[in-house]
Amino acid sequence: MKRIFSILTLLIALPGVVLASGGSAIQLEKANNSLADQDSLQRGAVLFSNYCMACHSTKYMRYNRIARDIGWDNETAVSEMGKNVVKPVDNVMTRMMPGVGQQVLGKTPPDLSLMARLKGTDYIYSFLRGFELDEHTGEWDNKLLKGTSMPHVLENMQRHFEPEDYMQATRDIANYLEYVGEPAKLQRYDLGWKVLAFLLVLIILSYLLKKEYWRDVKH
Amino acid sequence: MQSQENKPQNSLLAWIDARYPLVSTWNLHVGQYYAPKNFNFWYFFGSLALLVLVNQILTGVWLTMSFKPSAAEAFNSVEYIMRDVEWGWLIRYLHSTGASAFFIVIYLHMMRGLLYGSYKNPRELIWLIGMLLFLVLMAEAFMGYLLPWGQMSFWGAQVIISLFGAIPVIGPDLAVWIRGDFVISDATLNRFFALHVIALPLVLIILVFMHIVALHQVGSNNPDGVEIKKYKNDQGLPIDGIPFHPYYSVKDLFGTSVFLFFFAMVVFYMPEGGGYFLEKPNFEPANPLKTPDHIAPVWYFTPFYAVLRAVPDKLLGVVAMGAAIAVLFTLPWLDRCKVKSIRYRGASYKVLLAMLVVSFVVLGWLGTQPATPELTKLARIFTATYFLFFIILPFTSVSERTKPVPERVS
Repeated sequence: MKRIFSILTLLIALPGVVLASGGSAIQLEKANNSLADQDSLQRGAVLFSNYCMACHSTKYMRYNRIARDIGWDNETAVSEMGKNVVKPVDNVMTRMMPGVGQQVLGKTPPDLSLMARLKGTDYIYSFLRGFELDEHTGEWDNKLLKGTSMPHVLENMQRHFEPEDYMQATRDIANYLEYVGEPAKLQRYDLGWKVLAFLLVLIILSYLLKKEYWRDVKH
Repeated sequence: MQSQENKPQNSLLAWIDARYPLVSTWNLHVGQYYAPKNFNFWYFFGSLALLVLVNQILTGVWLTMSFKPSAAEAFNSVEYIMRDVEWGWLIRYLHSTGASAFFIVIYLHMMRGLLYGSYKNPRELIWLIGMLLFLVLMAEAFMGYLLPWGQMSFWGAQVIISLFGAIPVIGPDLAVWIRGDFVISDATLNRFFALHVIALPLVLIILVFMHIVALHQVGSNNPDGVEIKKYKNDQGLPIDGIPFHPYYSVKDLFGTSVFLFFFAMVVFYMPEGGGYFLEKPNFEPANPLKTPDHIAPVWYFTPFYAVLRAVPDKLLGVVAMGAAIAVLFTLPWLDRCKVKSIRYRGASYKVLLAMLVVSFVVLGWLGTQPATPELTKLARIFTATYFLFFIILPFTSVSERTKPVPERVS
């Protein structure tokens, strides 16, 4: 048994060792968001529509799915996010015409459906908060992604909001994008503990059954 | 007249049994298959491997109902499964987690063989069939990993298939023949899909069948490494054996429940497995024009990948990687010690086995890391110690200072 434990310990410790050795140069800020916070998701969805969808899409998401998951009805999603020009079943596409991004920004803005899974929620949060005004050029740049093609779309918000409110707004957007990355996450968390509780009962019952059967095996 | 006891009482069963050897097959492999009574923790992993295989086949069938095997649509269809297909996310996570679980279970199953000498006379053929299974499983996993058509799917396949190009003379043409194109493309994805969902699963199932038939021909080994068939009672049944059903079927039910608990923990609360089961770059669609900064194969291939990178020459690296797998086939003949179980083997084997396990785990970690000069040096050392196990074993195992083996299981 001792040997088994030492092997298991090693297997469990290994990922920690790996992560510790691969630290990145820039420290990401913790988003401290919560998918359980529906108000935050709703605010995030509206902010995303108002500030991001001029360029970005989340093409794998549909308005009616968003509505169902974050506590809206279809009409609210269509009016709040879709500006009343979409159908509930439509995917969340960008309002930018094809080719404009390439022309104006030099790069087609990426689809953000899976950005939170690709880069992590903290990255998105830190990126949104990472815009800095360059003293010499007088232009905005991002400390997380130097020379980014993305303009600082939240500039007005950053100038005129209270710092806490600005922090909350960026957190809401990051929260919304984490949700969009994997809409089933809420369902997964909700179902998981029920399955585990069932399996715990099954473990106990099958152990007792095994013990009962094995009573007549002589050692 | 045959004795009445062996005839089925149920009339339907009698009807079937007159036309198909149902009762005798059941008895041979389950009801009257006598297994040693002293199986321990390590003996759960055979039945668990079967469980995971069934999981992969069932979830795989349902995935194919919505998956589109084309370069243009594969990535989108996976996201469609994750979002728009009812319970699609669960089916997909059961399948992706199942792939990693398969290798965890198989590596522990192989470890059991090393601990208790399960590959030794008369079970050499079981080991060989098992090694073939391992090889086919690796091919199956490799081809399955291309299907989601993410960045790591694409570039991982690119790296591995280009290895065939290192073979002299036929190499470059062979690589093109495998891909069906000059680069990984729609043609590659389509044929990998065919092999992943039809050809290789068929081979796996046939080999699993043969693995079990061969096992039941000679009987199971056990943690003491003694043959239970040596001592039989007056009915000709092994004294230290118990029928597989119900004793091991209920015990395996318990093992299955514990396994499923840990499996469900991953499926529901960490399906990415810390970036090891589902790698982050794979959430970006395959892009042939953009090479990722760091290409790492999935964790279960990394020990062999580290061996490949440890050798400076590409062709010799491929040979070393192939040898690292191939040498396992020869284990029944490299290990010349008559004593099977590690409980009664000499210190030399224990030290060698510990060296092998440490080498394998460290190589596995190194395979996930970028190849810096220091880490490459480390990979060379552990590649050497990995092979050293197989080089030293034939010599030390002849004159090993073993302990006395008990006559019967303890």
